[in-house]
Amino acid sequence: MQLSGDVVRLRGVRKEFDQGRVVALDDVDLDIHAGELTVLIGLSGSGKSTLLRHLNKLHVPTAGTVEVLGQPVADLSGAGLRALRRDVGFIFQQFNIVGRLSCLENVLSGALGRLRGPRYGVLSYPKSMRREALELLDRVGLGDRAFQRADTLSGGQQQRVAIARTVMQKPKLVLADEPVASLDPEISGQVMDLLFRICSEENLSVICSLHQVDLALGWAKRLVGLRDGQVVLDKAADGLSTEDVMAVYRRLDPTGAKHTEYEPAMAAHNS
Amino acid sequence: MTMTEKPQGSRTSTIPPEMRSGSLRPPLPWRRKVLLVIALVYAVSVVWAIVRTGLSFTALIEGYGDFRRLLDRMLPIEFRNLSQIIRLAFETFFIAFIGTALAVIISIPLSFFAARNTTPSVFLSGPARGFIVAMRAIPDLIFALIFVRAIGIGVLAGILAVGLSAIGMVAKLYADAIEQIDEGPREAILATGASQVRAVLTGVIPQVLPSFIGIALFRLDINFRTSTILGYVGAGGIGTLLQLYLSGLQYRKALGVVTVIVVLVLAVEFISAAIRKGILGSDPHSHKRLSHRIAGLLPGGKDRGGVKTQVDAASRASFNRETLRPPWTRDRRRMAIFGWGSLAVLLYAFWSTRLSPVRLFTSFGDIFIVATRLVPRDMDWLSPVIVRGMVETFAIAIAATTIGLLVSFPLAFLCARNVAPARWVYYFGRSLLVMNRALPDLIIAVLFVSAVGLGPFPGVMALSIGTVGFATKLLADSIEEVGQGPRDAVTAAGTTRLQEAFTGVSPQAMPAFVSTALYIVDINIRSSTILGIVGAGGIGFSLIQATRTLNWEVVGGILILVFAMVYSIERLSGWIRKQLL
Repeated sequence: MQLSGDVVRLRGVRKEFDQGRVVALDDVDLDIHAGELTVLIGLSGSGKSTLLRHLNKLHVPTAGTVEVLGQPVADLSGAGLRALRRDVGFIFQQFNIVGRLSCLENVLSGALGRLRGPRYGVLSYPKSMRREALELLDRVGLGDRAFQRADTLSGGQQQRVAIARTVMQKPKLVLADEPVASLDPEISGQVMDLLFRICSEENLSVICSLHQVDLALGWAKRLVGLRDGQVVLDKAADGLSTEDVMAVYRRLDPTGAKHTEYEPAMAAHNS
Repeated sequence: MTMTEKPQGSRTSTIPPEMRSGSLRPPLPWRRKVLLVIALVYAVSVVWAIVRTGLSFTALIEGYGDFRRLLDRMLPIEFRNLSQIIRLAFETFFIAFIGTALAVIISIPLSFFAARNTTPSVFLSGPARGFIVAMRAIPDLIFALIFVRAIGIGVLAGILAVGLSAIGMVAKLYADAIEQIDEGPREAILATGASQVRAVLTGVIPQVLPSFIGIALFRLDINFRTSTILGYVGAGGIGTLLQLYLSGLQYRKALGVVTVIVVLVLAVEFISAAIRKGILGSDPHSHKRLSHRIAGLLPGGKDRGGVKTQVDAASRASFNRETLRPPWTRDRRRMAIFGWGSLAVLLYAFWSTRLSPVRLFTSFGDIFIVATRLVPRDMDWLSPVIVRGMVETFAIAIAATTIGLLVSFPLAFLCARNVAPARWVYYFGRSLLVMNRALPDLIIAVLFVSAVGLGPFPGVMALSIGTVGFATKLLADSIEEVGQGPRDAVTAAGTTRLQEAFTGVSPQAMPAFVSTALYIVDINIRSSTILGIVGAGGIGFSLIQATRTLNWEVVGGILILVFAMVYSIERLSGWIRKQLL
């Protein structure tokens, strides 16, 4: 489904961790347009993951408003929040597939938002969905691995299962948090290609964080640079040179002082 | 962008031909089929067990009424002779303490013989392992029953019973700890030209010491719970009083004793946990959860996590450069207090129970003589009563395990910090579990027998309740350890909490669930063999009859049956565990 206008609208978003000792996002204003392929770049700890996690309320902002697919995220809870999460696919750096389940069941778990009630085991999903999941596995090139345990796959294959799982939930917007940071360069290229090809086939808006500048320039329509939780670059990717982008990193730290990385705990959505 | 892998461009399907149509059922290899058959047999035996043990809704309602009447007769609670209760409570603790010390002293050399990497010879490791398995298979109360007849009524029988059966667990876990060491230090010491024994002393002992202490304290906990019932068969401690009051129908006084037992079990648990934390706090090995430790008690289920020691800031404290004595760092002080303190308690325990340490070891002679009498010379001991007793024992264990686990699984999700729907649910659930575990299984059984009379029904009830307390704790602990990442991903698909618990949490915790369930089957089989000693059904009744009449061959025959049943269930659960993980 093609949406018109903005799929994401952030206004003055601020996020603090540890009672304000760490500021992960600092007054961020950002609009993402429908159908656009936006890449967030920045060092580890610059706030890329934190920003993405606000878009499906895995994090709640300390201040400011987050609007996704036309809905203010702060007001959502229960069924409303679940409906939004179903519309927003999320791809994780660590793949986060459930290792002990088969590939097919992992893909099927993407459909949980479309189903009622708990499920356990491939046979607890409707037959039509099993077929649908297998087609998706085939699209990511793993149709022959359907009943193999997911933790027996390589990293690149696991991320492909995760991509299939995300498509299975029939999202309108896909968020990808460093999807290839744990993979080697060659596999990275393959996985990025697959991700963006499927998203463009499905007409999905994509926001993807990356820290490899060459990959970012190769794939993005629009580049947004983050540094210390602030937006320091926001341009169309066409005509941007590697030097322009590297400035996001270089200007960061003229003194060479050590930056602390901060990976916040991920349990916020349980609150 | 050059693409080498299939997904790019190539639209040739990767779906195998046989999966292009049909209903996409998971494949069923023969191992799965065997497991399905086992599951089916299990389901049938559960139904059979429930019928066999007389469990039904009417029985439950009647039982509830009986229990209410027992409570009425027990209230108001009476502490008329509190000083005697407290004296016996201390005696109970000393039985547990000396018993644990005995087990540790025997387990240390035994475990070095049994461990694959330190055994001097396979001719020693085999028998050592066999001995450990045998000690583990025979429940402590059965030992107590035999020892009371062999060396007389009193604390000595209790200490030996608790100590010997503790070896089965302590030595097993010690050997596991030894097998998990980093071999580097020992090689380095051997390379200096030291002998094997010295290399073990310098290169191995320091690595395993924290685990050894942690396991010993953990076992002290268990031993204390067991010791509260020993008096029931004349092996000393507070159980003597409980038996006296219950058989004399003095229910108010009995409730007083039970209350003291609950308070003391809780106290010992808290103190042993505090000591563990206090002296082992900086050591990562001691953080190993109970659920990890018990994984080692099943065949094929060892936790082989390497342990890296952290830098202890206090060890960099200043020291006297003249004398070069180690500085009294916080850790060293704590270790010294713990070591000398334990020794002091041990000596006081001997003095207080009027027991000479020498007598402890000379009594092994008497035990040996009885042990030789236990060997059956023919098959005359195998009577229909005994067969029926064994069948009933099995039925009690199956019924109680199933009921207990059915309650435990949902409850565990409420008692896990990371899954509980609200903080208060978690705290409430956990406190209930602590209270539940404060009442030893057999004490519950004794109370149920007093309420509803002799038979397997009170046994099933007691064992089910005990299972809930223990299994829920283990299951909840393992739920708390699941990775958050996959859970986030499942949540991000827009799931409800319940869906997420099924798809994000359960598969991750499944190995621990399987281990726990099989471990519970294991211990319940053991426990159900002794329920009959307090009148709660099963083979224990025949056992106590045979010891009363000094019919040693019958006792020995029953021991063989118990061992065979426990051991075969243990092997079976080890096999199932391997298939499922």
